[in-house]
Amino acid sequence: MPITETPAQVLDCKGLACPLPVIKTAQAIKTLEPGQVLELLATDPGVEPDMKAWTTRTGNELMAIDQEGEVFHVFLRRNG
Amino acid sequence: MWTDEGEGKVLYVQTHGVTDPGRCATPFFLAASAAAMEVEVAIYFTMYGPTLLQKDVVDKIGPKGDVGQPLSYFIKQATDLGVERASGAGMPFVVEELLASPLGRAARGLHLRVGYESLDDLIDGVKMIGGAAFNDMAMRADAVVSF
Repeated sequence: MPITETPAQVLDCKGLACPLPVIKTAQAIKTLEPGQVLELLATDPGVEPDMKAWTTRTGNELMAIDQEGEVFHVFLRRNG
Repeated sequence: MWTDEGEGKVLYVQTHGVTDPGRCATPFFLAASAAAMEVEVAIYFTMYGPTLLQKDVVDKIGPKGDVGQPLSYFIKQATDLGVERASGAGMPFVVEELLASPLGRAARGLHLRVGYESLDDLIDGVKMIGGAAFNDMAMRADAVVSF
């Protein structure tokens, strides 16, 4: 299902390898209010399993992962 | 050493040092990832591992040699994540007690090429523990990963 909600923040991690997308996401989402959405842009091929594991651990919501070419768009909602 | 305030505990054990840079980066990567997952995490440095914590080394060694970010970058990322957690738990770097002195290093056969003379030569925040404390940490951890 496409995400219609406008992200409160877009985090560009294109070109960065593991673990930087996870680390930067963990830092960025703490700047949001509970319920707000963060869009992560990443080209690391491991970002999908990493984000699934990270959200399972932290309780944040993995809303969707869309891929356009080499770029993954990961939509995350901060838990509250 | 554990605060028991995290959702889980992972203890990494680093035995390799500056003479084997190809085996030095992964523990920092994994520890940083674990810290980002709000897991309580620590790295125990023994054998040649403490050489990675020298103040004049952490900016020179990285996972890709001279390319990319140095170890200090990942150390900072991980410790910053820990400090920002509500529990206040950081990511401790702990060093085997015997390695803190030249005599202790000699007892371990590590008196050559270790490269540091005291804990003052290591980065800030390094704690020194003995075998009992390490064993306690290992037994209370959810996972112990050795490099």
